[in-house]
Amino acid sequence: MDFSELKNNAEKELEKIVDSKELKEFSDKYLGKKGEIRKFFSFVKDLALEEKKVLGKEINEFASLLEEKVSEIEKEMRKAEREKKEEGEKIDIAAPEKIIETGHLHPMTQMLREVENIFELMGFSIVEGPEIEDEWHNFDALNIPEGHPARDALSLGKTFYLKNGGLLRTQTSSAQVRYMKKMKPPIRIVVLGRVYRYETTDASHEINFYQAEGLYVAENASVANLKAVLQKFLELFFKRKVEIRLRPSYFPFTEPSFEIDMLCTVCNGKGCSACKRTGWVEILGAGMVHPNVIKNGGLDPKKYKGFAFGIGLDRPTMMKHKINDIRLFHSGNLKFLKQF
Amino acid sequence: MTVSYNWLQTYFKSPLPSPEKVAEILTMHSFEVESVEKKGTDYILNIDVLPDRAGDCLSHWGISKELSVLLDKKMVIPAVKLKKGKTSIPLSIKVEDKDCKRYTSMVLTNVKIGPSPKWLQDRLTVCGLNSINNVVDATNFIMLETGQPLHAFDYEKINDGIVIRKARKGEKIVTLSEKEYVLDEKVLLIADSKKPLALAGIKGGKGCEITEKTKTIILESANFNHKLISQTARRLNLRTDASIRFENNLDPNLTEVALERVVSLIQELSGAEIASIVIDSYKDKLKPWTIKLNVENVNNLIGIDIPKVEMVKILTKLGFTITGSGNILNVKVPTSRQDVVIPENLIEEIGRVYGYDKVPAILPPFSEPAIMNKEMYWQNKAKDIMKELGFAEAYNYSFVGEEEKVVFDLKGEELVNPVSNYYKYLRPTAIPQMARIVKENSKFFKEIKVFELGRIFDYQKEIMVLSGAILGEDFSLIKGYLNILFDKLGVEKVSYSPLTKSERWNSKKTAEIKVSGKSVGYLGSLSSNLMDVLMIEDSLFFEIDFDELQKHCSDKREYEQISYHPPALRDISGVVFEDLEIEEIVEAIENSSNELLKSVEVFDVYKGKGIASDKKSVSFHLIYQSEQKTLDSKTIDSMVSDLLNKLKQTINWEERK
Repeated sequence: MDFSELKNNAEKELEKIVDSKELKEFSDKYLGKKGEIRKFFSFVKDLALEEKKVLGKEINEFASLLEEKVSEIEKEMRKAEREKKEEGEKIDIAAPEKIIETGHLHPMTQMLREVENIFELMGFSIVEGPEIEDEWHNFDALNIPEGHPARDALSLGKTFYLKNGGLLRTQTSSAQVRYMKKMKPPIRIVVLGRVYRYETTDASHEINFYQAEGLYVAENASVANLKAVLQKFLELFFKRKVEIRLRPSYFPFTEPSFEIDMLCTVCNGKGCSACKRTGWVEILGAGMVHPNVIKNGGLDPKKYKGFAFGIGLDRPTMMKHKINDIRLFHSGNLKFLKQF
Repeated sequence: MTVSYNWLQTYFKSPLPSPEKVAEILTMHSFEVESVEKKGTDYILNIDVLPDRAGDCLSHWGISKELSVLLDKKMVIPAVKLKKGKTSIPLSIKVEDKDCKRYTSMVLTNVKIGPSPKWLQDRLTVCGLNSINNVVDATNFIMLETGQPLHAFDYEKINDGIVIRKARKGEKIVTLSEKEYVLDEKVLLIADSKKPLALAGIKGGKGCEITEKTKTIILESANFNHKLISQTARRLNLRTDASIRFENNLDPNLTEVALERVVSLIQELSGAEIASIVIDSYKDKLKPWTIKLNVENVNNLIGIDIPKVEMVKILTKLGFTITGSGNILNVKVPTSRQDVVIPENLIEEIGRVYGYDKVPAILPPFSEPAIMNKEMYWQNKAKDIMKELGFAEAYNYSFVGEEEKVVFDLKGEELVNPVSNYYKYLRPTAIPQMARIVKENSKFFKEIKVFELGRIFDYQKEIMVLSGAILGEDFSLIKGYLNILFDKLGVEKVSYSPLTKSERWNSKKTAEIKVSGKSVGYLGSLSSNLMDVLMIEDSLFFEIDFDELQKHCSDKREYEQISYHPPALRDISGVVFEDLEIEEIVEAIENSSNELLKSVEVFDVYKGKGIASDKKSVSFHLIYQSEQKTLDSKTIDSMVSDLLNKLKQTINWEERK
């Protein structure tokens, strides 16, 4: 075959190409694995060395030229096609978006995780305890003996009892003593989880709710430590500087006991409806672990001191998302769950 | 407790700070003052007296004592004037039960019952009590003043003196508020020889109350076992001004003081004459006790440096007597402070009066990093995966009701005191709640994918389960979801086997999920019976024992070589015995192949026409691939024929062409 004929044919055909289909055919015909140019190469193989060199070079040059042209034509065609497609085309950016279904985590899960993360950063190990408790762990271990008014207030009216014995924990602190027995001081734990109270349910009362209970036990724990840890926790939790104050309070399992107030973040202490005009919002209960509780945890109360604090998580979650009915948490209502 | 500001002022010669200021001081050092309200010329302070201080602070005296310490002002208690009468009227008091710790009483005669003077009526009204008559008002007034509940009986309506005893089973009493109570042996009574006169420490009974005609009265000032009063009041659901005070260790040494105060007041108001001595039954007199307090321990526990003199000053003002030298203080506790028994109680007293605002904030030293909680790690991971798969997380109650128990034939722990029939049992499964979620949401949603990771209860055993539901009947879809979950949790050797028999699940449309051969849960449709009763849309459910699954979870994941050589697909079809599970066939295929076989996937299972009744036809896609080279058809064909030969021997595979 004559190379110049091949060259001529190719050039002529190239000029006639009108669409991408023809271009592809052309490309396959000449440049493909079994294309004309390859074929020609096999013919060249048998020529004398000198001739092979000259012709080989010529073919190679022609092949790259063809490739270049094909690619150029392809570019032009694509450009023309796009321009044609875009002609008169305009997106309505105000048109409604497509609804894309995603998964959702319960707002309480998100809250629990937030609390977990903060305390872990502060070196507190996150633990869980059993929800079915015995009277000893739920009351006696926490220095709420039989006949104690706090025991009566909880046990006669607020506690769920089980037919086969035992009860449902009324606070996560029931796990405190279990962990004190297992661990060596310094102990830094936060017990997270579901607790139970007998309540007539309404928009702000539930029978299942959630608590985080912190415990620190070491040789030199002090109120000053408690103050600093809670201040830091609240700052990380609210992601801002906070001011707290300690007021005397009473819990059977701590002595001294405190109510921790936080300067109202809505009015900065000036007094508004959110803080009942006091400038302060009661945020959690805390205190120095009662020596009886330390003893019940198998430690020497003369040597070891501790502080503990408890925070209910339902209310902060409701406040965070402006949820007005606590019962929504356990409603299984997808209209609610899909908002988070 | 409702406290009158003007009343508090009567105990101080110099003026108190403004009501708001008083409220602030009390809140920061004693008890929270929940509100301050103006009422006429007076102010009401609503004080949340802490339970451990109810014994000495549910009174205007108690609050004044606090203020006297906090404001450093002297408190003046009015003097008592008792006038002896001429007549002497006998009264027998028999304390038959040791739950009555002290019974102090006095008889007054020539009492003229009438309305109270305005000042007294005002005091009571401000504190939320109704004025009844001068005698009853006087007892209420002295209770609000001293904290000691008092009671007045009409002497003439009482037969043969007073007995303090336990009630007999079934004995009845009608209280002053016309309510009848049926009693048992645990209730302490004030009675006469014929009938109960009052529920001790809680409420007076009808029939012996003061009326306009009353001439002679018995005044009771007593002290009872606080535990008993607390429990009785709660059991009878009758908590009164008296019971609230008695349930918290009231000072037994207060009875006489209060009695003298009330007698003096009644004399002043009604011209009554004293007709008896103070009749006092008080066997075990409560005496002050001493606590050793180490000054250093106070500062260590609070984390501050309070000078010893300051501590002594605070405690002394609070009524404690201090002796001892050096760092150890001997602190004598007055009987009004039965809440103070250990050094920490004294540390609290010092701390609160000194002021917690002066305590610095000092972070504890770094000790050890937190320990990762494995269980919660996997729980959180599983929740994230379910979320990635488009599921919404629900929380359900730990309880199920009578209806679910019957419909699902549930067995489990029952509550002694459920809130209602809807929350009567600890849930032994979350499936009934998932079914409810599907039912209620299917009214509004075409697609439902929901899960919960929570505890269920096998009687008293707590099990963490992952439960869920999707709307629709696409078994392969929900299986696909779960396979992604297992894969992402690093759980291997998951298999699905058919269910033989189940009440809850539809055995034809449900698989038992096994990991390494051990059952971890179920996946499929509910039984036709249940579907008929529940009347819910077609839906699929799963419940997996997460405690068990978690044992197989792993973060290990090894990179698989990416091959740049093309994969080759071959299909095989054959007939096997019907009871041979797909998992077993897949295992046989894998065992009879080399590492070039990359994937086995079933794409058809057929039973019926053309197939023997005890057999089934199965078809698989096989993918072969090498990392080193492109496999040629000869190699692949020989591998497949080798495989088929082996299958013939191991599982009686008959090839279908």
